[in-house]
Amino acid sequence: MPSMAVYITRRIINMFITLLLLIAIVFTLIHVLAPSPYALARIWVGARVTPQALQAVIKAYGLDKPLYIQFINYVADVFTGNFGIDTMFKRPVLQVMATYLPYTLQLVLTGTVIALIIGVFTGAVAGAKKDTGTDYAIRVIYLVTWSMPPFLVAILLQLLIAYYLGLLPATGVVNPLYTAPKPITGWPLLDAAIEHDWPYFISMIRHLILPATSLALVSFGLTTRLMRNTMIDVINKDYIRTAIMKGLPERSVIYKHAMRNALIPIITIAVLAFATSIAGAVVIEDIFQYHGMGWFTTQALFNLDYPTILGFTFIVGISIMVANLVADLLYAVIDPRIRLE
Amino acid sequence: MSVAVFENPKLTLKVLLRNPLSAIGLIIIALFLAWSLIEGSLQIIGSLTRHPSLGWILLPHNPMAVNLAAGNEPPSLKYLLGTNAEGQDILSRILYAAPIDASVSIITVLSAIIIGGFLGILAGYYGGWIDEIISRITDAFLSIPGLILLLALTILIGSGYFQSMTALIIVWWPIYARLSRAQTLSIKGRYFIDSAKLSGLSDFWILMRHVFPNTIDPVLAYATLDFGNVILTYATLGFLGIGIKPPTPEWGEMVSAGLNELPAYWWTAIFPGLVITIIALSFALVGDGLQDILTGRVNY
Repeated sequence: MPSMAVYITRRIINMFITLLLLIAIVFTLIHVLAPSPYALARIWVGARVTPQALQAVIKAYGLDKPLYIQFINYVADVFTGNFGIDTMFKRPVLQVMATYLPYTLQLVLTGTVIALIIGVFTGAVAGAKKDTGTDYAIRVIYLVTWSMPPFLVAILLQLLIAYYLGLLPATGVVNPLYTAPKPITGWPLLDAAIEHDWPYFISMIRHLILPATSLALVSFGLTTRLMRNTMIDVINKDYIRTAIMKGLPERSVIYKHAMRNALIPIITIAVLAFATSIAGAVVIEDIFQYHGMGWFTTQALFNLDYPTILGFTFIVGISIMVANLVADLLYAVIDPRIRLE
Repeated sequence: MSVAVFENPKLTLKVLLRNPLSAIGLIIIALFLAWSLIEGSLQIIGSLTRHPSLGWILLPHNPMAVNLAAGNEPPSLKYLLGTNAEGQDILSRILYAAPIDASVSIITVLSAIIIGGFLGILAGYYGGWIDEIISRITDAFLSIPGLILLLALTILIGSGYFQSMTALIIVWWPIYARLSRAQTLSIKGRYFIDSAKLSGLSDFWILMRHVFPNTIDPVLAYATLDFGNVILTYATLGFLGIGIKPPTPEWGEMVSAGLNELPAYWWTAIFPGLVITIIALSFALVGDGLQDILTGRVNY
């Protein structure tokens, strides 16, 4: 398919332009808000440094050079993954992020999957039973969870299930008494499974349930609403009526034929749900003391750790652009009627 | 068939009030805005005339007065929603903070509509390289989840009432640019635009008199829902401790302060959280109702 190759190339070029613009915007903002090299150096390494150290940073980062050279350096840095030195741990930002990223990924992926499952089923039922009591009940439930601040959902779950019922741990990533498995893949959950360290593995899963459920509860409404509306549209289509009039059982027509077709737009929403979950993870990780990227970002915020925040922003931005591209391609593969242009 | 929602506000209001869910939402929003206007004016007059006590003349207690002897009191007749660790009345603090959230959400959404609407209409109407530049910048902003961009901006701008509002506006306009652009594209080819051009009207006049009024309906329907989104996001900033400078109470900040008192003194965190939910839900219900009218899912 030559058109596919052309389309992908064009999308990737567009992505690069968008990314360059993003860098330009951030770069401009920094220079508008921190006009002198000293102010810039402070942003870069934090407030508590000696004048000599500040001078060294200005030299090292070329902050005294003309603006266009600084911009070129800046672009080169971002594209080579050089986000500077984190001001809390004094380690390269990318390295620090690599240690926290697996936790956030397992949290956000689990949360998104739970949200999609809840959303697809409630949406399908609401759509099939349009304007009935079930439909209204589902609509009210998703509107309420949608309107709840993520931190309130997390606090309520923590209160109810961890504090009052004592079923699951309230905070943390894993039982602190357990020793971590030897790093093989760099992803502790997978490492524990490889080394058959089951107590560690199970403890991690138990710590994952509450934060992931909180994430899912805040974000499933988006999927429910879309699923409900497409379900209603699909059920009114001729081929569904034909199937019912042919004498096929109505239940199986609705939940097999109609649902399968209503699922197509869910792919796009999956990417959106993933994106909102990454943002939601910031607050939820803070409440559950779940030490992933989100928790680390709030720590960085309090310490005015500029390089880390910026690095995180870029990484999230790039992943969402890529995810969007993948979703559009999947869309075209599943439904060939959709023309790529 | 879609109907011009804001051309006939009386009819729109009638349809909205017929749906019990939207009606409840509309009443709560009206109360919230009316209270914010009264309380906000009192606070401003109070600070201008150097009588800050004017700000809590209507409240059951002084929201800022520390009274450690009455710390963490459960809800009672004296303190309807209980007190926090400093002995401050939760209800008074919630009421005192209402104008802050109301003003932040209204100013943010209106600024976003003006900035985003202007850029979106320009992009949609002129097309070509103007469209290309505006659309790419919009994409760049939209590629990052709002909250994360907000956190990055907060580090640059700092925290506080006006700072948060500036950061929120920077994050909020792109979605309106995209909405207005799409809407402009859909009406650009219509005959009334062509005839306006043929009759020699200036571009500025066409944009103001013919394009803008025809793009505003879906934008305003979305904006209604969006007021709640801004309140939720602003509360999250408050929760993270970067929304407003203490000791001024703010809903999100109240929840986060109450977090230390869990699980024993649950009311310190739960009540402010519920208020945020109720307000955001009301906007969502009305926004949903408007959306239904707009897409013709409701009969007049």
